[in-house]
Amino acid sequence: MLALEFPPLSHIVNWPGFFGTDGAWYEINKVVLIYAFAVVLTILVFALGNKKQLVPTGMQNVAEMAVEFVEDGIVMETMGKEGIKYTPYLLSLFFFIFFTNIFEIIPIIQMPASARIALPLFLALLSYVIYHGAGIKSHGFGYFKHALVPPGVPVALLILVIPIEFISKFLVQPFSHTVRLFANLLAGHILLVTFAVLTSGLFVPKWYAVFAPLPLIGVIFFTAFEVLVSFLQAYVFTLLTGVYINAAQSHEH
Amino acid sequence: MQRIRLLLAAAAIVLLGFLGFAQPSAAEGKLSHPAEECIKEIEAANSIDVDCQKAPNPLVPEVNEIIWGVVGFTVVFGFIWKMGLPSIKSGMNARTERIRSDLDAAEAQRTEASGILAEYQAQLTDARSQSTKIIEEARQAADEVKATLVAKAEADITELRNRATSDIEAAKVQAIADLRGEVASLAIGAAEQVVERNLDHDTNVALVESYINQVGAGR
Repeated sequence: MLALEFPPLSHIVNWPGFFGTDGAWYEINKVVLIYAFAVVLTILVFALGNKKQLVPTGMQNVAEMAVEFVEDGIVMETMGKEGIKYTPYLLSLFFFIFFTNIFEIIPIIQMPASARIALPLFLALLSYVIYHGAGIKSHGFGYFKHALVPPGVPVALLILVIPIEFISKFLVQPFSHTVRLFANLLAGHILLVTFAVLTSGLFVPKWYAVFAPLPLIGVIFFTAFEVLVSFLQAYVFTLLTGVYINAAQSHEH
Repeated sequence: MQRIRLLLAAAAIVLLGFLGFAQPSAAEGKLSHPAEECIKEIEAANSIDVDCQKAPNPLVPEVNEIIWGVVGFTVVFGFIWKMGLPSIKSGMNARTERIRSDLDAAEAQRTEASGILAEYQAQLTDARSQSTKIIEEARQAADEVKATLVAKAEADITELRNRATSDIEAAKVQAIADLRGEVASLAIGAAEQVVERNLDHDTNVALVESYINQVGAGR
C-alpha cells in the first residue's frame, strides 16, 4: 500500500508563536514575520521607484515599471484621472498582497500569509471603509440612495431591489472580496503541499517509484502556476478595490 | 555539456530521494496517525485550541515539503532565469533607452529653444539699437534743420532790419529835405507877407500865424 502521510490542514497554515504569550494579540508567529517582510519589500519598491536618477537602470527600472503597471493598468483603467489620489493606497495594496502571496513558493518559508483569512479580511474591510467613505464624501448621505436604488427601476420593485442591493453591496461584497483572495491562496498552498508530500511518498525503493516524476511535474507546474496566481490575485484584489471606489464616487450609474 | 549536467542533477535528485528523503514511516511500511491522535486530544481537551493543531515547528515546514518545494522553486526559477530574464532585460533596456532618447530629445529641443530665444533677443537688441540710432539721426537732422532755419530767419531779420533802417534813414533824410524846403518856402511866404504890410510885432505874428494856418488848411 502507498505510504502517504499528509499533514493535517492545520499544520500547514496554523503556525505556533515563537515570541510573546501563546494566543495573546502581540504573539509573533511565522505569518506575522511574513507581514513584516512584505512591508519591508513594499517600502523598498517605493524607495527604489522614488530614486532621482532621470534615466532609470537596474532595480529603479523594475520598481518604476511596477509602479507604472499599477498606475496605468489599475488606477487609470478603473477611475481615470479622478483616481490618482488613491494611487498610493492601491500601490501599497498591490505590492503588499503580492509579496505576502509570493512567499508561498519561497523555499523554507513556503507559506502565503493570505492563506490565513485575517489578512484578506482586514484588507477587504479597510477597502470597504475607503470605498464607502469615498461614496459618502462624493454624494453626502445621498450616497445610500445612489448605492441602493438603481435608476429606472419601477417604484413597485424597490421593495425587492433595495434589500438585494443592500445585501450585495454592503454584506456580500466585502465577503467575496475576502474569500476570493483567501481561498485561491489557501487552495494553491494545499496543492503545493499535496504534490510535495505525494512526490515524497513515491520516492521510495518500491516499484511504484516510477510514478514519482508525475507529482514532481505537478510540484513544478503548480509552483509556476502559483507565481501567476500570486500576481493575479494581487491584481484582482486591487482592481476590484479600484472598481468599488469608482462605483461609489461616480455620479453615473 | 549542459545535457550531461541536467542528467547528473536529475540522477542526484533520484538518489537523494531514495536514500535520504524517503519517510521512515513509509520505508518501514507503517503509518502513524497524528490526525487521529490529535482528534483524541481535541476531544479530551474539549477545545480545538490544542498544540497538535499547530505546525510542529514555528518557522519551517516539514522536511519533505521543503525538499520538493525547493526542487519546484529551483526549476521554475531556473526556467524564468533562462527563458524570461533575457526578454525582461531587453524590455528594461528598451525602457531605459526610450527614456534616455526622450530626455535627449527634450534636451535638444530645449537647446534649440534656447538658441531661438538668444537669436530673438539678439534681434530685439539690434532692433532697439537701430531704433535708437534712427531716432538720434532724426534728432540730429531736426537740430540741423532747426539751426539752418534759425540762421536763415536771423539773417532775414537782420536784412529786414537793415533795410528798414536804411528806408527809415532815407525817409528821414527825405522828410528833413522836404521840411527844409517847406520851411524855406514858408519863411519866404511869411517874409513876403511881412514885407508887404510892415506892421507892428503883434500884427506880424498874427500874419505869420494866419499864413501858417492858411497853408495848413490848404494841404
